[in-house]
Amino acid sequence: VKALPSLAGVPVPGPQSDQVYSGTFHGQPIAFHGLKRLLGAADYSKSGDRHTGLAAANDLVREAARSLLAGLTLQHLYDHPLTDDRGQVDEVMRVNYDIDRGGFATIAHLTLGELKDHLLGCSGEAVQRVGRALTGVMAAALAKLCDVHELILVARKVTRTTRARTVLGTPGTLSSRLQPNHPTDDVRGITFLCYWGLSLGAGDALIGVNPAVDTVENVTTLLRQLDTIRRRTGVPTQVCVLAHIKTQLACLDRGVPVEILFQSLAGTEQTNQLEFDISVDLLDHGYRTMAERGALKDSANQFMYFETGQGSELTYGKHHGIDMTTTEGLCYGLARRYDPFMVNNVTGFIGPETHLDNGEMILANLQDHFMGKLLGLPMGMAPCYTLHARITLEGQQLATQLLTAAGANYFMDVCLNTDRMLAYFDTSGHDVQTLREIHGRTPAPEFLEWCLHQGIFAHGGDGAIVRGPHWGDPRRFCTSGSEFEDLRSATPAAYGFETAGPRPGDAVQRRLRPNHAVAREAIHAELDVDELQQITPFRVVETEAPSKEAHLGSPALGARLSPRTVGQLRPEHQQVQIVVSDGLSAAAVHHNLPDLLPVLLDGLAGRRLRQGQPILARYGRVKLAEPIAERLQADLVVHLIGERPGGDAQSARSLSAYLVYRLADPEVRKQAVAFNGHRDLRFEYTVISNIYAGGLPPLEAGGGIVEKVSAILAWQAAGNRLEALMKTRTAPLDASPRG
Amino acid sequence: MNHAVKLVGLDFGTTTSSAVIASAQVVRNSVTGRMELSQVRECYRSDIVFTPFHDDSLDEERVREYLDGWLAAGGVHPEEIFGGGALLTGLAAQASNSAALVRLIRRRLREALIATANDPCLEAWLAFMGSCTGLTRAHPDTPIVNLDIGGGTTNLALGVNGEVLRTGCLFVGARHIQVVPGTYRIVKLSRYARPLLDQLGIGKGPGDSLTMEEVEHVLGFYVRLLEGAVAGTPHPVDDPVGGLHQLVAFRLLPEMPHAVVTLSGGVGELVYAHLAGKPPPPTTAYGDLGIDLARRLVNVPRWATHLRTYVPASAGRATVYGLLRHSTQISGSTVFLPRQEALPLVDLPIVGTVLPASSDLRLRDLVELIQRSPKGGCLRAMLAGPSWQVVRELGQRIARVLRAQGFPPTHPLVLLVPEDCGKLLGHYITEWGALPLNLVVIDEIAVRDAHFAHVGALQNQVVPVSFYGISAGGEVT
Repeated sequence: VKALPSLAGVPVPGPQSDQVYSGTFHGQPIAFHGLKRLLGAADYSKSGDRHTGLAAANDLVREAARSLLAGLTLQHLYDHPLTDDRGQVDEVMRVNYDIDRGGFATIAHLTLGELKDHLLGCSGEAVQRVGRALTGVMAAALAKLCDVHELILVARKVTRTTRARTVLGTPGTLSSRLQPNHPTDDVRGITFLCYWGLSLGAGDALIGVNPAVDTVENVTTLLRQLDTIRRRTGVPTQVCVLAHIKTQLACLDRGVPVEILFQSLAGTEQTNQLEFDISVDLLDHGYRTMAERGALKDSANQFMYFETGQGSELTYGKHHGIDMTTTEGLCYGLARRYDPFMVNNVTGFIGPETHLDNGEMILANLQDHFMGKLLGLPMGMAPCYTLHARITLEGQQLATQLLTAAGANYFMDVCLNTDRMLAYFDTSGHDVQTLREIHGRTPAPEFLEWCLHQGIFAHGGDGAIVRGPHWGDPRRFCTSGSEFEDLRSATPAAYGFETAGPRPGDAVQRRLRPNHAVAREAIHAELDVDELQQITPFRVVETEAPSKEAHLGSPALGARLSPRTVGQLRPEHQQVQIVVSDGLSAAAVHHNLPDLLPVLLDGLAGRRLRQGQPILARYGRVKLAEPIAERLQADLVVHLIGERPGGDAQSARSLSAYLVYRLADPEVRKQAVAFNGHRDLRFEYTVISNIYAGGLPPLEAGGGIVEKVSAILAWQAAGNRLEALMKTRTAPLDASPRG
Repeated sequence: MNHAVKLVGLDFGTTTSSAVIASAQVVRNSVTGRMELSQVRECYRSDIVFTPFHDDSLDEERVREYLDGWLAAGGVHPEEIFGGGALLTGLAAQASNSAALVRLIRRRLREALIATANDPCLEAWLAFMGSCTGLTRAHPDTPIVNLDIGGGTTNLALGVNGEVLRTGCLFVGARHIQVVPGTYRIVKLSRYARPLLDQLGIGKGPGDSLTMEEVEHVLGFYVRLLEGAVAGTPHPVDDPVGGLHQLVAFRLLPEMPHAVVTLSGGVGELVYAHLAGKPPPPTTAYGDLGIDLARRLVNVPRWATHLRTYVPASAGRATVYGLLRHSTQISGSTVFLPRQEALPLVDLPIVGTVLPASSDLRLRDLVELIQRSPKGGCLRAMLAGPSWQVVRELGQRIARVLRAQGFPPTHPLVLLVPEDCGKLLGHYITEWGALPLNLVVIDEIAVRDAHFAHVGALQNQVVPVSFYGISAGGEVT
């Protein structure tokens, strides 16, 4: 077990004032104010860095930045730690300075360009020695100077093995992390997806579930179920529920077997503290607790598991002017402190606001893998996407080919590429086996033995490992046909078990891909205003998003009214204002509104609530309700908006109703602030989601929205405060809405 | 989103009684969108005990002891129980004090659980669901007839793909002729056995020993009755004893003449044990003809392949497992229930069905029936793929009738709806709160063709509903 050095004992140079980096390039003078801007401009242009103004304006500016960066010494980077918005060195940066100082002394004089050349020419052991002397910022700076071949070549040299029940990362292996997520944490569906994945030879890195509900009770149930599956099948692997670290530690306190401790990381202290609710102290506590009491404390060399991905700091507005690659490098510097069993990179998960298309996603993944391997981490890769980005399955597959060549330790097994809970698209068990066959890889040795025994794999005629007679057959883990049917009945998007070689059979593909297509079309479809006007006469307003592309790529635009609309809307002082916008699925609006809106209008009239003429907004985001409520001085906005589609056609038509209560009354606002703890609180939200034919039907949603609207107005509260007030069962003095 | 519940199943039969207690999760099936029970895990299974008779009545004190012992051993408090129920079946249901016993069980368990006696079609349905649910789902195109053969009765149910379509009941069972264990010396004859022996020309009674030939005659009669029922061949009209043995006629569907046969109940369990190669119990070890009946059934030529190929689960405890897992339905999560205190409601008569096409006169008649019922009542509402307009129109029409009839605002009125539109229908019936009513609308319920319903209290957005007094035809839907 690694001793964790005291943070205070890690020497870090003090903050420096920004320096101007400048030069003349092909006759054009170009300058960058500060190291953050130089690092940002030196990177491949990516959507997130473009939104923050860090990306280079053109190729020449980018190359100028790279030239200037390549000329900086490592000592320069060392002497100029990047600071937060207050000009301070945060704790993530401080952890990054916990490096091999002896090693650093030998390379400090090198420029980044010289170091890159050295890495391309030296051995794998030498790369690893250098890596131990680098901070995340230095690794990121190097990544920006490398082309695709270089990112692959250097990473490929590094072997990073870790050991729990299985040994990951040994040469010639390619492992997989089985992710049997289920939208309602139904253990039947989770069990079914585990069986399916195991039958594909997936899961040697880990079987890990992202819980839909992060409570100790639920996570306990899931951990016990995964433990049961592991014992029943006898599979040599490790299990994990990817809940918050505090939840997992609470489970451990209850005596639940926590084998591997998971946590998502960000590259700035502010993001970690305010968004992820973690700190270095908490991570240290988790690490030490696992060393003392973790289920594998006596057998595993490592027991921590981190997930990261470019752009999370940026989307929370807590990146401190640092580009996405560099904050990702800082994550790795933090992860390195805990000698993790695995690090999983999910760049592409967020959406087009960080990575717009295949090229951006692929390059970012290669950069991340390069940085992680260089800094000594056991990198697993999850090149992934959401349907509102211009990233496709084919782009994802290209990424996996390159990352396998680069020596990634493992990929994900998300069954048929469709995560049923998180509404995104990742690699599958079929993909992993395909890559193994193309690149001549096998699973981790212990797991392989088990697969051979199960008939999932077999020895081929030439001694090679081939698919066995039971590959792809999840039935073999069920005790009966009825158990199999029971498990399958609770599993969405199970499009069939036919296979062709290591791939899903074409019949399966032909069921799978149209569902994805319908879902993607739902995002890119435009609202048909004329058709919607047939339901009720809308007044149409504009957001600041001028186009669908701008709307998808920049979420902030759809949350603001255009100046013209701002000028048109006047205070009306109605109790309720209905707003309809496409959000991320215009199809959701068109499929649900014909049933939902008449009910809603009937119900509000039946309850004698005053309402304004309904509003229709193209390219709207959830927060658009706030400026509308302010302009109209409405007590409550009912915002009906399309949800981000997942992987099946039906749920791509899912709508949400955000009931946005304006805290106009100073006394009510005071109570809300006291309850919620946010001083600047101006609105409270109640959400009714999953409105579609296979979820909450629009008819019932209409009735439910009317009930909630009445309750919010009567209690003068929304969200958790409303629920807490209603639990007191003390009716408000005047429970009837003003009529 | 999921919540844990406890389920119980109690079966007091002609010969034996038993209890099973289980924990389960109420979950929303993310494929169908419906609420259902998942992870049903048995946490207690009682020993099978002899049903405590005292002459022709049940020994209430012993039953009370069993109940308390089972609940204690299962670690369950009555208030934790979400679903399941208790049944008095076969000859136990005909005991002189069966009604009193039902009341006792209700008091001991939660009031809203079904506890009933002499409901043969419910028993047949439960036995089928308890033993054949997995089998019928694994063979969705195969009609299955399950014969649940106990001490006093054989309950028949025809089902396809998890749905029971027909039920029936015969007085065929192991215990109509009770004998001294190890012999065929008669101890007691049931009211059905006496005329049977007379018809067969066997002039024997208590104290006399039956010859093997006579035993085979009796068994032959039983097997013919069972085979005839399964084949859809009713007993001949000139066979009064055959008619006496029929409690509820089993009418096979013409389009399903060749159903697969499965067995459950005590005799069914003996059959499958025999087929599994287990040695048979000693001659008349249980003091009746059950072992001999099982031997005869194994050798019915038309069933031989079926019995070896289609083996149901939990044959011997089919009814109690059916009670545990299938007697309670879970509503959808958007019921119309303005006041939670309105539930539970028990023993509600189901007075009829309303359709969008129902006349105002029909609506008025149904409302009047409920108005006259002291406990209030239930209506089925069948809306088949409802649109907003259909729900609104039906709701507004019902509202008009209720207003016109002066329906009392506190009188319980429950609507049971198969579709997911309960909340909306309730809002339109109550005119969005303007018409004061004690109305509950329960949706996503497979409304059974039953005479009574129990509606339990709201738990985490859902309501348990049970039916009894079930008709032989199966479900209305």
